[in-house]
Amino acid sequence: MKYSVTVFVLLTWAFRWSFCIYEDQIGKFDWRQTYIGKLKFAYLDTISTTKKAFVATEENVVAALNLKTGQIVWRHVLEKADQGEIQFMDGDGDDIVTVSGRNIFVVRTWDPHNGFLKSEWTVAQPLIRRLIDIKWFLYQKQLFQVVSVALSDITITAYNISAGTKVSSDLIHAPWMAQDSRCVLAVPYLACLDKVGQEVLLHSFSLTGAGTQTKSLSAFMGEVKTSVTLETVGGSQPVVEVAMVGNSSKHILLLEANGFTLYPHQLPSAAKLYVASYEKSSIVLQALYMEGWLVLSGSTLETGKELSDLAGKLKYPSGLGEGNIAAAVCSPKKDKGKGCRILLVTDDHAIALMSHPGKFVWVREEALASIAAVEILDLPVSDTDAAIEKEFDHKEMDFGVSSGFVGMFVHRLASQILQLRSLVLTILGLGEPPSAGQRAGLVRDEFGLHKMIVVASSAGKVFGIDNLSGEIIWQQRLENVKPYVDQATGKNHAPFFVQRTTRHFPSPAQCALLLRHKVTDEGVLFVFNPITGQPLAESDGLISLGYKVKQSFLLHEGNKESLRGILLLDNEDNLHVYPESAQSVAVAMAATIFIFTADPNSGLLVGYSLALSTKQNLIATRVWEIKLTHGSQRITAVISKSSIEKVHSQGRVLGDRSVLYKYINPNLVAVLTQGFDPVHKQFLNIYLIDVVSGSVIFSISHKRAREPVHIVHSENWLLYSYFSDKSRRTEIVTLELYEGKVQSNTTAFSSVAAPLQPIVDRQAYILPGMIESMKETITEKGITSKHILVALANGAILEIPWVFLDPRRPITVTSEMREEGVIPYMPELPIPSEAIINYNQTVQRVRGIHTTPSGLESTCLVFVYGLDMFYTRVAPSKTFDLLKEDFDHFLITAVLLGLTVTSYITKKLASRKALKQAWK
Amino acid sequence: MNVKMTKLLVLPGSAVLNFIAVIILLGLAHTVQSELDDVTTEVYSVEGKVFPPDSYGTSNWQVATRVLVNGGDFVGFLKEDGTFAINNVPSGSYVVEVANPNYAYEPVRVEINSKGKYRARKVNYIQTSQVLQVPYPLKMKPLNRFRYFQVREQWRVTDFLFSPMVLMMVLPLLLIMILPKMMNDPETRKEMEQFNNFKYDMPEVSEVLTSFFTGSEKQKPRALKSNKKRQ
Repeated sequence: MKYSVTVFVLLTWAFRWSFCIYEDQIGKFDWRQTYIGKLKFAYLDTISTTKKAFVATEENVVAALNLKTGQIVWRHVLEKADQGEIQFMDGDGDDIVTVSGRNIFVVRTWDPHNGFLKSEWTVAQPLIRRLIDIKWFLYQKQLFQVVSVALSDITITAYNISAGTKVSSDLIHAPWMAQDSRCVLAVPYLACLDKVGQEVLLHSFSLTGAGTQTKSLSAFMGEVKTSVTLETVGGSQPVVEVAMVGNSSKHILLLEANGFTLYPHQLPSAAKLYVASYEKSSIVLQALYMEGWLVLSGSTLETGKELSDLAGKLKYPSGLGEGNIAAAVCSPKKDKGKGCRILLVTDDHAIALMSHPGKFVWVREEALASIAAVEILDLPVSDTDAAIEKEFDHKEMDFGVSSGFVGMFVHRLASQILQLRSLVLTILGLGEPPSAGQRAGLVRDEFGLHKMIVVASSAGKVFGIDNLSGEIIWQQRLENVKPYVDQATGKNHAPFFVQRTTRHFPSPAQCALLLRHKVTDEGVLFVFNPITGQPLAESDGLISLGYKVKQSFLLHEGNKESLRGILLLDNEDNLHVYPESAQSVAVAMAATIFIFTADPNSGLLVGYSLALSTKQNLIATRVWEIKLTHGSQRITAVISKSSIEKVHSQGRVLGDRSVLYKYINPNLVAVLTQGFDPVHKQFLNIYLIDVVSGSVIFSISHKRAREPVHIVHSENWLLYSYFSDKSRRTEIVTLELYEGKVQSNTTAFSSVAAPLQPIVDRQAYILPGMIESMKETITEKGITSKHILVALANGAILEIPWVFLDPRRPITVTSEMREEGVIPYMPELPIPSEAIINYNQTVQRVRGIHTTPSGLESTCLVFVYGLDMFYTRVAPSKTFDLLKEDFDHFLITAVLLGLTVTSYITKKLASRKALKQAWK
Repeated sequence: MNVKMTKLLVLPGSAVLNFIAVIILLGLAHTVQSELDDVTTEVYSVEGKVFPPDSYGTSNWQVATRVLVNGGDFVGFLKEDGTFAINNVPSGSYVVEVANPNYAYEPVRVEINSKGKYRARKVNYIQTSQVLQVPYPLKMKPLNRFRYFQVREQWRVTDFLFSPMVLMMVLPLLLIMILPKMMNDPETRKEMEQFNNFKYDMPEVSEVLTSFFTGSEKQKPRALKSNKKRQ
C-alpha cells in the first residue's frame, strides 16, 4: 500500500496540473459577466452618497445596482427554485428586507451600503393558505404579513424587522370579502373589488387603523357589463387603477381613510403608471408605447395638472420589449424644473434606467441570465481573403476563358491588380470602405480563436457576442415565441441548427432556431445570419410551421447552395424538410436516415427508418420500440455524442504492445431513468442504446443514488455523476467500451451489420464537491487528450484530465500497467486550485458548459452560462502547436545574429592566419 | 448483506470491492440512523462563525463569502462579524462548506439527529464512518489562500548562461579561441604532454587486477612506455 502511494505521488507529480494560467494572464483569454435575472421587485435609494437601485429577481437574487452605471455593487444569490423564491422585497433608508421561500418564509434584512446580512429569521406559512393570499409590506420599520381569506377573515401580523419578534397580530372578521373578489395591496390599505350584478363595489380596508369603507364605483364607471380589473399602481401613495376589460381607458383612485378620491382624468389603459413623490406632492408618471416611440408624461396626483417639464418622447430601441415602470424617483434638477429617473423592466427581461424625459442611462440585458441554446461559430474571412476565395470560386468562366491553367493565370493577374489597386487606394484614403464586419474587426484570425457566440435566451431574444471581448454585437427580439421545455429535466431548450457555416463564401452563414408559438405551441423557425443577426427568411425571420414538432435534426449533407436541411417530425409522424429545396437531398439519403424519439413519462423509445420513402414523400416507419421504465420511473436524460466530434486514435496501446480497439459507435445514446422504490429508495439506471438498431448495448443500475445526475458521453466512454445517498457523497462513474484486440470493421462502424458486445471497463471515483454541470473538451481533430470540465456548486470550474478518470486505473500496479501509462487507482479525486480555470471569477448557478474547437488543435474554447457567463480557452495537452507566450524572440535573434557575426569574424581571422603562415 | 452491498458498486477487481465493502459496513450503522432521521419534519438551524482571512484585500469579504449546505441546498450569508445561521434545515447529515473565491476553508459535516442534537465532524468521503469531532457552533478558519496561478519563471543569469543556445554559442567560441592558443604556448604544451604521460602512467583497474593475480608487476608499464615510443 505504502509502495503504491509513493508511486501515485510520483505519478501525480508527473501528471501535474500544469495547464493553469499565469497571474499576468488574468482577463487575457477570459471574461466574466454577472447578471441578476428578470426583475421582480425594485427599490430606489437616493439618500446615500452612491445612489443605488435595489432589486430582487426571479432568479432568486438580491442585488444593489449602481444607479449611474447599472453595475452590480453587491449581489446575493439565494437558494435555488422554490426554496429561495423571493416573495417580497422593499427597503427603507437603513434596511433592505427580503422575504423568500415557501412553506417557511425566511426574512432577511441587508445592509444597503455594503450588503452584509443584518438579521435573519423565519416565519412559518399559515396552514391551508394559498400563497396568493399572503401579502407582505414594510411600513414604519415593521414588516406586515397580510393573510386574507375570502368570506372569513384577514390576519395582519406585524414583525419587528431586526429581531423578528411579533409586535402585534390582528384577526379581523371580513365576511364582505366575496369568494371571487380580487384584492390588491396598496400600502397601507387592502382594496378588494366586488361585482354585484352590474354594480362594482370597492372595499378598502385600512391595515393600520381598522375599518372598512365600501363604496360603489358606479358613479363614474356607469353600468359595468364586462369584468373589471384592479391593479395597484406602484409608488409612494396608495393608488389603484380600475379598468373594464375591453375598454380603452382606465381610472385611478387614491385610497383614503374615508374611501377614495378619483383622479380627475381617465388614462389610456395601455399606459404604464407609477406614483413618485416630489417634495411634498405626488406625481403620476405615465409611459405609453406608440409605434416605436415611448411617450412620457407626468401630472400631479391631487389636481391632475400636467407638468410640462416631465413631458417627453423618445425613440424606443427595437431590441427592447415593452416595459413596466418598476420604480421611479423625481428630484429637482440643477438648472430648473424637475427630472425623474425611471427604472423600466421590459418583457424581454431587460432592466433599463431612463432619465426623464428623454434618454436611456443604461440597459442591462438580463435575458442573458436565462440562456437556452448556445453555438459558437467561425467568423467570415476578411475582405482580402474573400477576394482570393472569389478567384477560385469562378470555376465557370467569367472572362470567356476556360478554367484551365491559362484561365487561372488570368484570374491571378486580375485579382493581383485589383489587390494592388485597393492597396494604393487605402493608402491614399480613397478606396471603397471595408465591409461592416471588417470594420468591426469581426474577421477570422489565423488560429481560428476569434469567433461569434450566438445565444438564444428563454426570454425570446437572440444575441451575437464577440468571444474575445464579451461584447454584444447584435441582438434580435422574437415576438410570440417561447423555447421548448425539456420534459425530462424541466429545463428550457431551443434546438439550434447551423445550416451553413461561414466557409461557403459568398453565401452567408445561416442558422435556424426551433422555438414554439406562445399560444398555439406549434413550431416556429427563426432563420438568421449568425454574424449580423439579420433575419434570412420572411421579414422577421420567423417561419410558422403550422404543426407541433416532435423531433428535429439537421441533414448531414447540404444542397447545391451548401445549405443543410432541417428534418422535422411532427406529432402525426409526418416528416417535413426546411427549406423545401433540401427535400431532394433528404430523399437521396433516406435509406441511411434513422430517427428516434423518447417519451420521458411513458419511458418509450421509438426508432424510425426512412428507408421506405418515395421520391415525392418522406415516410418514417417505426422500426423498433423499447419500453425502459415501469412504475414510478421516468426517463430523465437522453445523451448522445457530439456530432462534430472526431476520434483520432482508434485504439489504445497496452503494456504488451498490443492494441485494444475502441468501440466507437456514433449511434450510441445513453438513456438515464430514475425512480423510487421502498427497498432501494432512489435508484437510477443507465442504458446504452444503439438507436439505429434499437439494441441495448449495456445497462447499469445504482441504488440509493439521486440527483444531481450529470452525464458526459464522448468517444468510446461515458461518464456520469450522481449523489450517493448511502455514503452521502458525489460519485463519478466512468465506463469505457472496447471492441477487443481485433477491430471488426476497420473502415466504418455499422450498427446493423455487427451486433457486437463491447468489453466494458468501469471505475467509480469520489468527487469532494457538488456538481452543477459537466462537459468534455473538444478539439478540431481529436488528437489532443480530453479533459472534463466540471462546474462546482461553489462557483468554480474544475478541469479534470481524463487520466484521473480513466476506468483502467489499476488497484495493484503492474509493470505492464505502468508501461501503458495509467496511474494507480485512488478513490478520491483531488481538486487542486490550479485546475480551477475561472480562478476567483466564480460563476453562480451554472446551467451549461459549451465547448467548441478552435483553429488550433491544442486549444478548446469554453463558454459557461447560467446566471453568469464566463468564457475562456483551455489547452488540455498544453499549447504544443503554438510558441509559448513568453517565448524570447529577442534572445533567439541575438543568438542567430551573434553566430553569423562570429562566423564571419572567425573566417576573416582564419584567412589572415593562413596568410601569415604562408609567409613564414 | 455484504454481497448485496458490493453489487451496487461499479468497481472491478476483488481487492477494491473488499476494500469498499469494509467502508460500507463501517458506514452502515450510520446510514440506518439517518434513515430514521428523515421521518421528522422539525427544522433546525445550523450556526457558526467564519473567521476572516488575516490579510484580506477588500473590506467586505462577508459579501463575497457564502456558506453552502450540501452544495447549495441551503445557503447561509454572513453578518458583519462573520457569524451565520442557516435556518429551515431538517434533521440529517450535511456538509457545510464556506465558499470564498480567494481563500480555502475546510468543510465540516454537521449531523442533526431527530431529537435536535448537533454533532460536527471532519468530512471524510472515503471512510464515511470515521468521526473526528470538531466544536459546534462551527468555527470556520481559513486554511490558505488559493493558488490559482502558475508562477512565472524568474530571469536568472545562471539560467541564461546554461540555456542551450548560449552554450551553443559559447562552447565553439572557447574551442576556437582558446584551444589554438593553448597549443601555441610552449609551457602548456609541456604541461599537456606531462598530463598525457601522467594519464598513461595511471594503471587501469583491470590491469591492476590481472597483475595482482599474475604477479608480474613491472612488465606492464614498461610495455606501455615502449608502445608509446614506437608510436
